[in-house]
Amino acid sequence: MRLHKVSAFVVRDLLWDLSYPLSFFWRGGSIFFNLITFYFLGYLVAGSTAGHLSAYGGGEYFPFVLVGLALAGFQGVALTSISFAIQHGMYTGTLEAMLVTPTSLSTIVFASVLYQFVSALLSLLLYVAFGAVLFDFSLAQTNLGSALVMLALTLLAHLPLGIFSASFLLIFKRGDPITSLVGSLSALLAGVYFPLSVLPGWLQTVSFFLPFTHALEGLRQAVLNGRGLLELSTQVAVLGIFAAILLPLSLAVFSYAIHQAKRLGTLSQF
Amino acid sequence: MGSPPAVAVHRLSKYFPLINLRRLLAGRWREGLWALREVSFELPPGEVLFILGPNGSGKTTLIKLIATLLAPTDGRILIHGQSADRSPLPVKQRLGYITCNEASFYGRLSGWQNLAFFARLHDLDPDAAIPPVAEALRLTEYLERRFFTYSTGIKRRFDIARGLLHQPDILLLDEPTTNLDPLSATELRRLLAEIRAQGKTMIIVTHRLEEVEKIGGRVGFMKDGRFREVSPRAGENLEELYNRVVGEEDHAPS
Repeated sequence: MRLHKVSAFVVRDLLWDLSYPLSFFWRGGSIFFNLITFYFLGYLVAGSTAGHLSAYGGGEYFPFVLVGLALAGFQGVALTSISFAIQHGMYTGTLEAMLVTPTSLSTIVFASVLYQFVSALLSLLLYVAFGAVLFDFSLAQTNLGSALVMLALTLLAHLPLGIFSASFLLIFKRGDPITSLVGSLSALLAGVYFPLSVLPGWLQTVSFFLPFTHALEGLRQAVLNGRGLLELSTQVAVLGIFAAILLPLSLAVFSYAIHQAKRLGTLSQF
Repeated sequence: MGSPPAVAVHRLSKYFPLINLRRLLAGRWREGLWALREVSFELPPGEVLFILGPNGSGKTTLIKLIATLLAPTDGRILIHGQSADRSPLPVKQRLGYITCNEASFYGRLSGWQNLAFFARLHDLDPDAAIPPVAEALRLTEYLERRFFTYSTGIKRRFDIARGLLHQPDILLLDEPTTNLDPLSATELRRLLAEIRAQGKTMIIVTHRLEEVEKIGGRVGFMKDGRFREVSPRAGENLEELYNRVVGEEDHAPS
């Protein structure tokens, strides 16, 4: 992947984002309003959550949910950005215009989502910064190294799901079942808004098979309890296995989908 | 041995399997559509080939196959002797595909920013690649404005500029004057005639017979996925030729 081509995509997306300055700044506003809602919800449930949240820092709800919200946004981008880039390109015809240049589809797709990831990372940092400055969210216990590793593993374990979803769209054009299924299950069962201990036992078993469950647990332990990587070995191992199996598999499926899309003519139709 | 043709199409066929859940469940997964059947022609460097024919006859499929956007079911395409299927990247450097689709630009970005993006995808320095093309197509004064502010005629010229950025020697155009008002269409035909005079090889899909008259070149007809090159009989004008060929029952190559 040539660097100047990748930078062309990043510049394109930055210029596009800057051309909507209100939307650009409103992203910060929406994070603020999201946080303030959960801050007051935290007040409401204070005292009643101690048993369930004792494993997370001081056992308060707000720091627990802040990490969940921040990482959910990051996961959302990993799941949807590739299929969105393909869908937008197919719909407008920009994909066709890019494909006639000497640039591979893999470069086009992966460079198209780079800006989205940088933007998602900034949103995540904004969650933390707003939380720390406005809502007394403490980073005193945070193990930064572990947190960064958990973020990287979250990306590597979820990106393949986004690639599967994009492969589906390349052939069938619409109705991607992967993103909605994994997204909905993750929001419900992975513990974004509440700890897994409130779920019935069989749902807790189901949640174990979602990579996001382990990503959330690992990041919370790193940020709220300062756990090192050795203490997070279960989460690191599970996410690593997800990534090691799914990443090559998804790339093979994507390559097959490109071949099929050229055969079926779906690359240039919507 | 002479140089190979700029474009050589040999027994090119394209079959589109029609896949959807209902067909699969009904066991009709083998159903599909032959969009092209054994199309063959050769185009030497510097020549222009117009492809005429009714809607749905396979013209756009043919041009997209040449542009490497589709994979052929059978047959082959050689660009200056190189297989489009086996060496798509060097082949793409010799082809300029004009999509004639204004939505394939980024409306919120300026003309310059759009062209700069596509120039970088061609491994070009935008500062060197854009000015000569913009000047040749009389677009310099529009470069800094946002793309969505342009008229359809200007957008179409930007489309041609994008296809010319990497100085290809073969241009593929799919209905270049569609949706243009008569004045803009005349201006565009003049520009295309200028480009032709530079020695570019061109394949132009069109429904407008005046394009053939103004730019000049060989004429091929597509009908039901089959291609045939035809010359007018003595005293026959293009419209009469079109009606005769499209109206014929048998469209096998002569």
